[in-house]
Amino acid sequence: MRIEKCYFCSKSVYPGHGSAFVRNDAKVFRFCTSKCHKNFKMKRNPRKVRWTKAFRKAAGKEMTIDSTIDFEKRRNVPVRYDRELVQTTVKAMKRIAEIKKRREHAFWKHRMAAAREKMLAHRKNTSEIRSRPSVKLLQPMAVETEAIMVREKIKVPASSRSRSALVPGEGRSMGMDID
Amino acid sequence: MGRLRRSRTHGGKRDVHRAGRTRARTKDLDQIQLIDLDPKVRARLEAQPLDYETPGLAQHYCVECAKYFETDHALRSHWKGKVHKRRCKQLEEPAYTIEESERAAGLGKEGKRPTQAVSAPTPMSVETWES
Repeated sequence: MRIEKCYFCSKSVYPGHGSAFVRNDAKVFRFCTSKCHKNFKMKRNPRKVRWTKAFRKAAGKEMTIDSTIDFEKRRNVPVRYDRELVQTTVKAMKRIAEIKKRREHAFWKHRMAAAREKMLAHRKNTSEIRSRPSVKLLQPMAVETEAIMVREKIKVPASSRSRSALVPGEGRSMGMDID
Repeated sequence: MGRLRRSRTHGGKRDVHRAGRTRARTKDLDQIQLIDLDPKVRARLEAQPLDYETPGLAQHYCVECAKYFETDHALRSHWKGKVHKRRCKQLEEPAYTIEESERAAGLGKEGKRPTQAVSAPTPMSVETWES
């Protein structure tokens, strides 16, 4: 019994889970889910699909060179069962997982710090560009003072208003008179 | 109101589904890159014996695209086209393999019996140290 790795997303495939495809050159492709299998059938490159482990490793989003990663290996030579060995191995696994977690966190923090710096620089750059006026304003060469026309409001007294000829029926409504 | 939508609009989906069938599976990029592009294999693929089952009697084969053509003219115009150029570009970078997927998962490969190599330095182990 072996815990295999998914061809597409590099997740662990436990016994009794997932599916496998055997190509006509006897290469076995294992898939954790139908999602990975479908993506494989579509001939997608896992290195270019953002949610796969291969992408994350290739794009420098995860720790690639570390001594804690080197422990997991495909071993083809069986080891005779030894109670002591198993106990120490289990103990070591726990300890290594602890160290790995801490290192991964440190790696993530470092990555985020770098990204933040980059973002701030970008923001500063763009804000400078934005604050710069797009049009250069110049002083007018010769200022000509034109007489500005000021419209004065003329008040008309209300009493002088005559009935308009445009209003039909001499100010009366067009409606029918009802007695 | 009658039916407004054009019928037969699921062709793309159908074709994708059919192309995904195992019996319709075409050669993968790693197969082409690691095996077919080798000059020896390439020469053999380009000079295949007459085969009545394949298009063009297997006489006009594009190695990069793993595709048979009917005529020499068709093959030549294919080489000039976008599809072929895109394929060549894809083949330039190293193909994704099962080994890479395992490496991405953090699953390394064990060397050839480290206990033996340390205890008895045979000529074989010396070779491995050098390489």
